[in-house]
Amino acid sequence: MKAWIKAAAVPAIMLLALATSRAEEPAPPPTPERSALDAEVQGLRREVVDLNRDLFMLEEDLLFPASTQVAVFVSMDVGTFFDLDSVQIRIDGKEVSNYLYTAREREALLRGGVQRIWLGNMKAGEHELVAFFTGQGTHERDYKRGATLTIDKGVGAKYVELLISDRLRKLQPEFVVKVWE
Amino acid sequence: MAAVPAADASHTGGVLHSCLSCHDGTKATGKPPTHIPTALECDTCHMSTAWLPARFDHAGVAPGTCAQCHDGVRATGKTPTHITTTESCDACHSTIAWLPARFDHAGVAPGTCAQCHDGVRATGKTPTHITTTESCDTCHVTRAWIPVSGVDHAELPAVKVQDLHYGDVLFYFFGRKYFEALVRLSAYGEQGHLAPHARDAELLRGGLYLSLGQHREAREIFERLLADTTTPAQVRDRAWFYLGKVLYATGNFDQSERALRSVSGGLPIELESERRLLIAQGLMYRGQFDAAVAELDGWQGPDNWTAYGRFNLGVALVRANRAERGHAMLEQVGLLQTTDPELLALRDKANLALGYALLQAGQPAAARTALDRVRLKGPQANKALLGAGWADAAGGAYQQALVPWMELHGRDLLDAAVQESYLAVPYAYAELSAIGQAVEYYEQAITEYDAERVRIEESISAIRAGRLLTAALAADSGAQPDWFAQLTTLPDAPESRYLYHLLAGHEFQEGLKSYRSLEAMAQNLDGWSTSLGAFSDMIETRNSAFAGKLPEADRRLAMVDVAEINQRRDALHARLEAALRDRDTTALATDAEHQWLAMLAGVDAELAAHAGDASLDEAREKARLARGVVMWNLDAAWKTRVWQTQRAMRELNAVVYDARTRQAEAVKARKGAPVRAAALAVRVDAVSPRVTDLAVRVAAAKEAQGRRLADIAINELEEQRRRLDEYSVQARYAIATIYDRASSGTP
Repeated sequence: MKAWIKAAAVPAIMLLALATSRAEEPAPPPTPERSALDAEVQGLRREVVDLNRDLFMLEEDLLFPASTQVAVFVSMDVGTFFDLDSVQIRIDGKEVSNYLYTAREREALLRGGVQRIWLGNMKAGEHELVAFFTGQGTHERDYKRGATLTIDKGVGAKYVELLISDRLRKLQPEFVVKVWE
Repeated sequence: MAAVPAADASHTGGVLHSCLSCHDGTKATGKPPTHIPTALECDTCHMSTAWLPARFDHAGVAPGTCAQCHDGVRATGKTPTHITTTESCDACHSTIAWLPARFDHAGVAPGTCAQCHDGVRATGKTPTHITTTESCDTCHVTRAWIPVSGVDHAELPAVKVQDLHYGDVLFYFFGRKYFEALVRLSAYGEQGHLAPHARDAELLRGGLYLSLGQHREAREIFERLLADTTTPAQVRDRAWFYLGKVLYATGNFDQSERALRSVSGGLPIELESERRLLIAQGLMYRGQFDAAVAELDGWQGPDNWTAYGRFNLGVALVRANRAERGHAMLEQVGLLQTTDPELLALRDKANLALGYALLQAGQPAAARTALDRVRLKGPQANKALLGAGWADAAGGAYQQALVPWMELHGRDLLDAAVQESYLAVPYAYAELSAIGQAVEYYEQAITEYDAERVRIEESISAIRAGRLLTAALAADSGAQPDWFAQLTTLPDAPESRYLYHLLAGHEFQEGLKSYRSLEAMAQNLDGWSTSLGAFSDMIETRNSAFAGKLPEADRRLAMVDVAEINQRRDALHARLEAALRDRDTTALATDAEHQWLAMLAGVDAELAAHAGDASLDEAREKARLARGVVMWNLDAAWKTRVWQTQRAMRELNAVVYDARTRQAEAVKARKGAPVRAAALAVRVDAVSPRVTDLAVRVAAAKEAQGRRLADIAINELEEQRRRLDEYSVQARYAIATIYDRASSGTP
């Protein structure tokens, strides 16, 4: 009987063995077999990342060559007066994208992330891009605004930024379309 | 069999199932009107020491019929603040205790946690919770509040991007899609989009590799950034910090400490606190407890971090044989006034550590006080209850020890503390000379151990048959498995019970993360394999479409002679120049004016043929006047016409330039399209074997990783089985001893 009474004290020793942490715990000492497998998995993961990089570029070159490429980005600056729900994009009257945002994606935009919402091809010449922003404005009122841009598509790739920012003087959101070369 | 006398309050006569002979509502307390309908004897559910807590055996109750008794009158029902549901109790609660309840979050839409977790119906944010408008599931998983699945400790402040592509990477990074962010970061870097953010991008790349568990790559990147003398101080500090983290995570504590100490003070407060604790923890892992004490003594950071610092300081002091101060420090954490779930868990841990440390130091009363502070619903509850019983037993208060041990008795037998309680309860009864109960509980222990043993064996067979990982991955069905994240939900399969247990182990958890990342890789490669087939088809289709359109395109190109257009444009230009030089107003005359001039020239010629005819003098005068009017008009319109013609020439120049450019492009495309298509085909052909080869290697690694996980699980379960066997032997030995003493008349 006494033997297992003493065993009850074991957890105490174990409890005091390690510090407690909010950070990632260090790896336990690896066995040779496990170490080899871990190294293999890490190596594979690296190769898969590199392969995905190459395939990402290949896909872009194949589907959206620079001569016809147009990319539309959405960004947010401050965003106090507008809580974004969705963005719809029409090019030459045809809907090409209609994106509904999650809370996490909105947060990503607010922290400086810029979303490439559409990547496509356009012939050289003039095209009309219309973007509709829906969400909630001040006092939780539903809000829908549009912004129009005439794109003069030349030989190189064209990047269009749809920027949602705050117009402090009017306490209203502002939707700006900016073209990057 | 004789009934137990009413005066025998201890009920230690050992006679079972004779309660109703006294407890009939007249001689002694009987069933109240609201008692659940039953014909069973009192001692089926109640103990002889008190009516409550009662232990109702739910074994015979049909699933989904809980509300027949649990209606708030006959037995506890739903509280007013219970979450809205029409489900039966057993959908979430077990028959052992209301809490912990296991709510299946599978059907809950992401981001809607606050509909229940509002602080009333279910746990909400505590007053000390960090300020955030995020939903709970941004940081927490559904299994437990802590550990959090990953708080993004503002590792990157809000960024003003100077290149949209870098912003696109950040969009995925802030959205915690680390693999996608890394792929885009690498691709955009290759495409030359990230130049304005080169160093930040490199720091981010290192951080992303670290998030994916790629320690070697992360380390290389941070070391490279640090070797570059032009790296700004702020980036250097972060690089040193993350390098320290990589080294710590890989167990290189010496190097980790050196890296962490190289930070020159430019970190935000959260990272600075983490740095300090990492240094101390590294020292503790190396057994340098005095150094760890020196590192943490007197340190003050943000509240949460300070509490961790004090806990670790307490542990370090105890380990450095400075028990008294160590106990005091642990007590400080153990007496924390907080509602923060993370700190409550830490407080439990401190009280538990302190309780056992005091037990070891021979201070059972003080140990009991510390252990009593551990919450009954937390993960440390079982160990605390066991310890509390031992603290009482150490002082000879076996009756009192039975209270925590009986509370443990009936909890999940998977827990080592619960397993021990099955021996502790009869041990206490034996010490109290309640031999009948002691034997009964020893026998129950043997039965339960055997049943658990059978379940373990079944689970081992299931794991050998590969069902463990199928179950673990099925929990993610319908969603792309994360690349390097912890499992957030578990399926309701027999093996799941053990998965919870196994997941507590670092090795299994890391192994499972690797396995799931291999599964994600396999799915990724499978997707690309399909896409590559489509790419090849696309190139082929384009080639044949090009070949089909080529004759017509060639015909059209041949029709357009840009050189001839150029010549004509040049001739026009020369004529305009000459007209301007000579102020030749007739050069810009309209067709009508030319007709007039031609007509006047004809009249002039006719009049000249009759030069001596005086009768034509009037006609001559009229012709002169008419010419004068035409020339006057031409002169008056000259400036306007020059401006209009020059504008028309400029427009013509632009059109001719466009035509020339387009023709050049058409010719270039005519020549370049096949070359480009061939180059793309070469790239597709080159990458295809890489995909196939990687898919094979990933599948093999996944299989090996699966075997490794199964081995870990089986070893762990076999260890459990061995422990149960030992306990079973001890129970049998105890029974034999009791019978032996009874037969020999030994007290």
